[in-house]
Amino acid sequence: MSQPVKSVVILGGGTAGWITAGTLAARFKRDQAEPVSVTLIESPNVPTIGVGEGTWPTMRNTLKRMGVRETDFIRECNVGFKQGAKFARWSTGAKEDFYYHPLVLPEGFNSHNLAPHWLAGDRSVSFSNTVCPQEALCQRNLAPKTIDTPEYAAIANYAYHLDAGKFSRFLQEHCTENLGVRHILADVSGVRESETGDIAALQTDTAGEVSGDLFIDCSGFRSKLLGEHFGIPFHSCKSVLFIDTALAVQVPYEHENSPMATHTISTAQSAGWIWDIGLQNRRGVGHVYSSAHSDESSAYRELASYLNMSEPQLDELGVRKIPIVPGHREKFWHRNCVAVGLSAGFLEPLESSALVLVEISANMIAEQFPASRAAMDVVARRFNESFLYRWDRIIDFLKLHYVLTKRKDSEFWLDNCDPVSVPDSLKELLTLWRYQPPWHDDFDRAVEVFPAASYQYVLYGMGYETKPRPGGISAPNLEMAAQLFEQKNRGLEKMLRLLQPHRDLINKIRKFGLQKI
Amino acid sequence: MAKAVALNNERHRNLRVITKRGAEYGENTNLVPVIADELRNLVLEYPVCITKNPNNGQFSLCALLGFEPDENLFLYGDEWKAEYLPLHIRRQPFMVGHKKTSAEGDTEALIIIDTDSERVQEKEGERLFNDDGSKSSYLEEVTVILSQLISGMTSTSAFLKYLAEEDLIEPVQLSVRFSNGEQKRYEGLYTVNDEKLQKLDAARLVSMHQRGYLQAAYWLSASMGQVRKLIALKNDLIK
Repeated sequence: MSQPVKSVVILGGGTAGWITAGTLAARFKRDQAEPVSVTLIESPNVPTIGVGEGTWPTMRNTLKRMGVRETDFIRECNVGFKQGAKFARWSTGAKEDFYYHPLVLPEGFNSHNLAPHWLAGDRSVSFSNTVCPQEALCQRNLAPKTIDTPEYAAIANYAYHLDAGKFSRFLQEHCTENLGVRHILADVSGVRESETGDIAALQTDTAGEVSGDLFIDCSGFRSKLLGEHFGIPFHSCKSVLFIDTALAVQVPYEHENSPMATHTISTAQSAGWIWDIGLQNRRGVGHVYSSAHSDESSAYRELASYLNMSEPQLDELGVRKIPIVPGHREKFWHRNCVAVGLSAGFLEPLESSALVLVEISANMIAEQFPASRAAMDVVARRFNESFLYRWDRIIDFLKLHYVLTKRKDSEFWLDNCDPVSVPDSLKELLTLWRYQPPWHDDFDRAVEVFPAASYQYVLYGMGYETKPRPGGISAPNLEMAAQLFEQKNRGLEKMLRLLQPHRDLINKIRKFGLQKI
Repeated sequence: MAKAVALNNERHRNLRVITKRGAEYGENTNLVPVIADELRNLVLEYPVCITKNPNNGQFSLCALLGFEPDENLFLYGDEWKAEYLPLHIRRQPFMVGHKKTSAEGDTEALIIIDTDSERVQEKEGERLFNDDGSKSSYLEEVTVILSQLISGMTSTSAFLKYLAEEDLIEPVQLSVRFSNGEQKRYEGLYTVNDEKLQKLDAARLVSMHQRGYLQAAYWLSASMGQVRKLIALKNDLIK
């Protein structure tokens, strides 16, 4: 049991596999004289799903730590900057109904909570516009930085929109050429167990046996090692989150210099919602819906109508249907096998939680990397505990988007508001937030997937009512808030002077590149 | 507004250019673009730093002349108190343009003059052309400066690109305190990272040396010491 962990074998060559490979290999290379070896086995026959074209700002650090140049990444993966999400028709369903969940935190958020001040005001300006400059940037399609901002640095916090297929190949190249990751193209035909019950090796059709000390299952929905081999049960979340089907399509721009949106546009439909993501060369658009509340032909019709196309026009673009089984494994690390990505679980594309979970998982594996087999069980237990907590928080946060709706125009929205479908943990938070706005202490963990600010943006974007504190707001507190609002306004003015259209910056980066410093 | 036209020995036969120094000619500026070939002379008098072009993010070289955008601490009326003047200052009011000479896109370099410059008139200063239409010795001199600048800009950006790719450029945390107690911080300036330069392996050192980059890099980094002189000049003004 005290044998050292010297080799990692990753199964699956999608974004989850390569992000994990790159994160681990970069860390080993940096810290260890004799780095733990990293091997990635990819089937030449299994197509990658390529979900998750939107990321969180964490991706900047993830890529930087791997030693990727942001300029290369932007050029090769058709990347656009993402400054948050615009939610249209989620609250009342009216045409003009929308709110933003920006990535910049409310002004002074580390020490001051501006929500009570906004709640006490006349609310003629949206919560997001009141406390943060980013909605104004998004509405104008302004880039979050300039050509003389260094790589990975921001003027306004940002994440990315990316082409997932290209991203996998880009990371593959970086990992194999610069980080020493061994890449095997072969189909896994079986698993050889050791006498203790650990995985000793994966048997492949063309590359023989690949043995290792730790196996990372990035095999996608099939969950080949954790699910199929070890039989770890799947925990369905369908009673909370109803989305179970996606219709995805790639939509060309009118011309090559069409404006690029700098936020994800999420537009609610009768039984789901449509995502709209602007890459450099095309938009990625998709309708996710609940098959219990709608059928494929209605969903298809709504997608065509969103795109202002006839159904035959939409046919020509080639719509892909992707089934979604919302839920996650009951645990993620079992014996010497840990699942990262879809093999661990998937909920729905709302709020781009898939890639961020991959990053957090890969990071935790890298940071707590078990030095020996004996240490692995302890690390595994912590990992499982930590990620069960995270999945629950994500489920609550996604459900929050639905449960706050005032829409009553379809069973889908009515069922979403049915208390039976709301987890107790979320009910408790909603009770708390009836009387006080979300704040840092509402959450347990140091590394929350979504900060308290995200809950504020969704709650007050959706028009949730938090009652004023009985004791009112003191004069110094009012003064402090006034200063912060003023500071936010000055910041916005400066950004509006400095920042240029998103498309222009992308073109400049393609032409000149960003500097590292 | 600058009005740039191609220099023509008929049309501009009688023009003269004032070659005096002075704020009225736009010389009250704190950053002057320079080329690497000038470093040998520049570093004896000015701090030379790396800056970023806000329009394309590319690095360029600049001599630092003052602490405010319109402050040139070397300029006193019509006197520029330094032995060496950057080529960019001496080329005014001329620049180089390109004329298309064929449908295939071949171009020919030609001299452009800013006829709106305060320097350009017909009364005083250096003549551009002799009576017979040939270039005056002054214009010959300017032509040499312009061609030095054109070739120097290309080699300077190659030099800076090399430094950037080898991670040898770092931001300068310039924080100065003047004799009146005023304290200021400056951002957006970069220089060579001495520590990294010293740790380069032999192969890289040789490669840099062969291109003339090694000496240029050391000059650049040493020139930051001239900031002390700038502070002294500023303190003299405060008194």
